[in-house]
Amino acid sequence: MFVTPTNPRFIDNAWKRGGDVYILDIEDSIAPAEKERCRTLIRESIDKASKGGASIYVRVNKPFVDADLPYAVWPGVARIMLPKTESAQEYQRVHEIISQLEKERGLTPGDIELYPMIESALGAVNIYEILTSTPRKLGSFGGGTGYDMAMNLGIEMFAAFDQYAWPAGNIALACMALDIEPTGGVFVPNESGRVDQGDQAAKQAAALHAAGVHHASALHPNFIEPLVKGLSASAEEIAWANKVITAYEKFIDEGEAVSELDGKVIDQYEYDLAQRTLAWAAACAAKDAYKAQALARTRAAAGD
Amino acid sequence: MMPANLPEIPDQIFVGEMPMPKCIRRSVYVLSMDDPRLGDKAYASWADAILLDWGKQPGHDWQADLKSRMPVAIGAVVKGGAEVFVRINAASALAELDAAVFSGLTGVVVKGVTSAQEIANIAQRLDTLEVTRGIAKGATAIDIEVDTAAAVWLSLDIARASERLGCFLLNEPVLCTALGMQTTPMLEFDPLEYIKSQLITVAVSVGGMVLGMSYPLGLTEENAAEDVVKAAIKRARDTGFKGAVCPHPAWIKHCNDGFRPTEKEAETYIKMIELFADGIKRGMASVPMDGKMIDVPVDLRAKLYLKWALRAQARDDAKAKAHQSPAA
Repeated sequence: MFVTPTNPRFIDNAWKRGGDVYILDIEDSIAPAEKERCRTLIRESIDKASKGGASIYVRVNKPFVDADLPYAVWPGVARIMLPKTESAQEYQRVHEIISQLEKERGLTPGDIELYPMIESALGAVNIYEILTSTPRKLGSFGGGTGYDMAMNLGIEMFAAFDQYAWPAGNIALACMALDIEPTGGVFVPNESGRVDQGDQAAKQAAALHAAGVHHASALHPNFIEPLVKGLSASAEEIAWANKVITAYEKFIDEGEAVSELDGKVIDQYEYDLAQRTLAWAAACAAKDAYKAQALARTRAAAGD
Repeated sequence: MMPANLPEIPDQIFVGEMPMPKCIRRSVYVLSMDDPRLGDKAYASWADAILLDWGKQPGHDWQADLKSRMPVAIGAVVKGGAEVFVRINAASALAELDAAVFSGLTGVVVKGVTSAQEIANIAQRLDTLEVTRGIAKGATAIDIEVDTAAAVWLSLDIARASERLGCFLLNEPVLCTALGMQTTPMLEFDPLEYIKSQLITVAVSVGGMVLGMSYPLGLTEENAAEDVVKAAIKRARDTGFKGAVCPHPAWIKHCNDGFRPTEKEAETYIKMIELFADGIKRGMASVPMDGKMIDVPVDLRAKLYLKWALRAQARDDAKAKAHQSPAA
């Protein structure tokens, strides 16, 4: 979830919200007159917002990367988000600045991810060149939708159909071609445009989960719980995956490559899918355990 | 009509801003150069642009024939204030350009495009023709009629082939035929949705735009009831199209009214701009409005769309003025 470092209420309470990631924003949620002060608050906000075990990202301003990055590259920051990225050249330049700061500050080179936010048609058509222009790794990625994209395409947002089919799909395909986990890209109608309705988050999570997408972002705390729940592997999915694995391994031992389980065809594809479900369930469980421990530590320290 | 209480918006809202949309071309009406009432029909149509169609008659020197008729046709159709285009074939484009490009022509619409090189060659020939025929350098636009699989697949290369590119015009019936698809709409979804989104994204990436219609009217091109046409235009605009080729004169007014921000939308943009400006004065980065959040991108969008509405209004005013001219 995006949080504004200039708002103590948001930062001080972030650890209680249960989010997996908090994005410290210096960009659009910060008024121009507040940006300088916001930069100076980033370092302390990292510790405050991560107290509940969440990872920390920082969204910088594309026109002010030289001013923002020295305040954003610190231990504890997992990712820098570069808004409105349109070309490999500007992405490379930011990569170089971060590399220099990592060196100066004793951070492992390349450890911080650089996330090129794609919010224009030009960024969407250049996505493959952007993602392959530096050696910096990226675990997951998505884009090609949202306010800025709508503005660039000259459309009103919140129609009852997918207005970003190609940009979002093209970006997801580029990710998969580069072995980067795609995020987003699945259309869920939201004609109201509201950002605070938990049932909308649940629908979004269900659609993403069904498409095999594991990550989503939010602008309101009401989204966190439905997203975390909906994007995690359910108990039923885990049980089915275990059943498929046991059955398929038995088929293989018996010399069968394809067989049936509860009326469904079970083959190598289903077996691989079940393995992925269990791997994702384990990752979710590890993250939940990490957050629970961090929360317990923070609460104990606070005397809660 | 636009609301009277307009906030002040700078000519350049941000560095590198390009006009959005590239031009106000909401309705393109196709007329045959053989039509004896060509000028009257163009004048009465109120279309933003007229696309001239012509044919090569066997046994005739088509080049000499077209060359002699084009200046007259251009003069006839511009009287109502419309831009004027002529349709040419990619396969024989260079010879057709020699016969079709004259002063007063806004641009050419190229059909049957299968490579970016074809567009580069057309642009090069236009460079020469503009010099020899006293046309301002770079004034003649190249629009692409998308009617082949190659034009879709190579759309980015094609769009980048020349700075003259203005619009892609999606010809759904011909494209569907080229793709081996049914031209009778039988599906509950638009089978070209992904292609439409691709063309729009690609065109916008080079500062261009796409003219097209939503499913199924884009395919059937039927003279449907007014509410059906209006709903189709609304969806087409939400898809990202900035205008449409009108197979019927009845579509033109609806396209002119529909492919632009409405008066109600303009009022909303004005409210957003004013609320946000007030919030900024009070040191806020976002302000609520009717349950939605107005922040920097929303404010920027409101300003850009308001400019779009003003440009559309200016286009309508220019056409109205042309219709009042004694020359008409």
